[in-house]
Amino acid sequence: MPRRRGLAIQSILLTADLLRIRALAVRREWSSSTIHVAAVSAGATLFSLIYLGTYLGAHALWQAGAIGLLSTVPPWALLIYLLTDVVIAFGQALGDLYASRDMPLLMTMPVRVPALITSKFVLGVVQNELYAAVFLLPFVLGYLSALNASWIAYPVMIVGIAVFPAILYAALVVVTILALRIVPARLAKESLWLIGAVVPTAFWITMFYRIAHITGDVTVMSLPAPPSWLPSTWLGWALASFGGASPGGVGAGIGWTGLLLFETFAVCPPALWLVSYAFARGWSDSFATGAAKSVDSLNAIAPRRSGLRALVLKDLLTFVRTPQLWFNHIGALMFVVYLLVGHAVQTPVFPLTLQLAMVQIGFVAILGSVTPGMTALSLEHSSIWFLRSAPLNSRDILIAKVLVPFAQTGTIAAIGGALLSAGYGFPIASRVVVVAFGILMAACSVSLGVAFDTRFPSFAWENPNAINRGPRMVIPFLNGLAMLVICCGALFFSRDEWPGAVGLAAGLAISVIFSALMVWQTLVRASRNLEQLEV
Amino acid sequence: MSVPLIDVSRLLKRFDKTVAVDSISFSVEAGEIFGFLGPNGAGKTTTIKMLTGLLRPTSGRALLGGLDIVRRPEAAKRLFGYVPDEPNLYPKLTAVEFLNFVGDVYGLDVGRKRSRIAELLELFELRANDGELLEAYSHGMKQKVALCAALLHEPRIYFLDEPTVGLDPKSARLLKDILRAVTRAGCAVMMSTHIMEIAQTLCDRVAIINRGSIAAMGTVQELRNLQGDATLEDVFLNVTGGAADAAAADVRLTNFVAGKR
Repeated sequence: MPRRRGLAIQSILLTADLLRIRALAVRREWSSSTIHVAAVSAGATLFSLIYLGTYLGAHALWQAGAIGLLSTVPPWALLIYLLTDVVIAFGQALGDLYASRDMPLLMTMPVRVPALITSKFVLGVVQNELYAAVFLLPFVLGYLSALNASWIAYPVMIVGIAVFPAILYAALVVVTILALRIVPARLAKESLWLIGAVVPTAFWITMFYRIAHITGDVTVMSLPAPPSWLPSTWLGWALASFGGASPGGVGAGIGWTGLLLFETFAVCPPALWLVSYAFARGWSDSFATGAAKSVDSLNAIAPRRSGLRALVLKDLLTFVRTPQLWFNHIGALMFVVYLLVGHAVQTPVFPLTLQLAMVQIGFVAILGSVTPGMTALSLEHSSIWFLRSAPLNSRDILIAKVLVPFAQTGTIAAIGGALLSAGYGFPIASRVVVVAFGILMAACSVSLGVAFDTRFPSFAWENPNAINRGPRMVIPFLNGLAMLVICCGALFFSRDEWPGAVGLAAGLAISVIFSALMVWQTLVRASRNLEQLEV
Repeated sequence: MSVPLIDVSRLLKRFDKTVAVDSISFSVEAGEIFGFLGPNGAGKTTTIKMLTGLLRPTSGRALLGGLDIVRRPEAAKRLFGYVPDEPNLYPKLTAVEFLNFVGDVYGLDVGRKRSRIAELLELFELRANDGELLEAYSHGMKQKVALCAALLHEPRIYFLDEPTVGLDPKSARLLKDILRAVTRAGCAVMMSTHIMEIAQTLCDRVAIINRGSIAAMGTVQELRNLQGDATLEDVFLNVTGGAADAAAADVRLTNFVAGKR
């Protein structure tokens, strides 16, 4: 008879086993040394950019004596991270617990449910630690070094950053489990993802509306206080205290970090333990399916379409019926709102010009292309056998796989560009230019994503959000950013060389030429990748 | 002399240093059901994947209706219907939407598409559920939809990889009847299976593949005669080394049961 173990031992052993299995899976998925080097380089680049940007920004504010901004920026930066992570981690919590492929096996094993929840929780947190290390750590290090903080601030803040994803993920796990006990599973699965997007969006818009109404000189300016009950605010206050921008200094910094640690270790485990009992029932209910429709479904049979059109329509249906795929677009539009209200507090460093608005919408387009481009082929999942065994040529497959993401991101770039330029009060001609540049960058970013996805497709994901994690997300995103930097250089160079409309037209023309070359090159490569694809 | 619908010559597939399929040759005529037997990992699915364009052969040639699957993939793919070993279908489509998509890809006009989809859904008793998303279907129901998709465009060649797995006895019987009917109409069927009874009663010829090579091939009676009128199962075990393995497994089983006491 197998030995019966205590809950704590079960949790520890299961967590260690699952972590080992996940690490092996990741290592085997990314077995190419080229991709290892590319992933590490991309991560290092992102880390360096955030560190440098924060260092320079904080240093400039310090020299300008902008103590108000220095003390309120950290809680805001952490709040932005928190809201972004909510969008990602909501889907992840549901995917890790209910939609995970190993759950049926684990649920039949003699493992107690709280141990199972604990293990899955740790696994989810470890994954989020990666994002914290790439995005939060360089921000904190840049801030502390710019303000010559005491050495004790570094280890304390690193511990705070390490704990921060745990408390966020715990809250989402609790909400997910409880929601599946109240809302019918068929609705809950899709609607939880929607809530994950809508709540931060509403919060974000309200908060940025308040920022938009800030007035005064930079030396007395400060951002409105974010909600004091949020852990992101505590960590932000800790950072500001360590940097000397908030009263209390090192003592206050340690105090705020201590509060975060206390809440994480004192409140999270009992909360998770309590709700884990609701999990088993919710998991069972999540298999419930809806009643069959009474309408004659044969009416859906449409007149004959070409293979390409059929493929496009199939991908559009999948997109419409998978809310997880909408997040990227919601995120991109949220960024447009941020830019619109951020414009109200623009500094002399970045005066608003048409070229700056074009670069801004270019960034929105690249942000909006992250998921659709690099998941175009991977979305076929294990049904890829059909595409490869059907009489479809690679050209048609490639066109469909570019068209559908481009239709999504091009639309988002166009809407975002129109909103942004209207909000900035540009004349009609300038609005058209902004929209055109956004669409151009969307085309670039989508083709880069598709090329990457055809080379490194992932057909074994558990939920669509899981496709574009790690290197799969970072590498094409940075490639898109590099293209934006090149076009940005062309725009500003031509503006300086030739005044007015001539400079603008020249900058746009150069951008079109660079982009067309890049799109052509990547699509040729993607076509070759598709020809060689084996499944 | 008629041209075989499936003509495989010295087909080889290598994954790094592992030879999965080792220079196999065979052909399947019109009106023939060709059974492909072999133990797990013998190379059955790899062979079928090469014949359907999912994997590129390392060397050798595969002609379908006289068309090379590597050189003229699109034309060759129009000739066959394929049911994979796992019926993975687009989860966010309904059965009707999926079959409509398949019909479009194979270029069926709306009238033919509509009548074929209705007939097939009726035949496999899927009409009651055809408006549900495929993600809600059971394994057996997905298998039926995959069979419908393979039959939809009335191909001349059928590749079926373990087609009866997950099917209830009634549907398995229906499938056998369909396969007999399509071969009577001049089609060729190549199917892999682990079920000896199906191979014995359904297949006109059988090939047994072991470790990537064809160990035996012929009509069921010819194979049985090889071992003095043994059953197909005995022949299978002998040519795949399974007989010796079975004896060793008996010893292991005896020890295992003894250890339990």
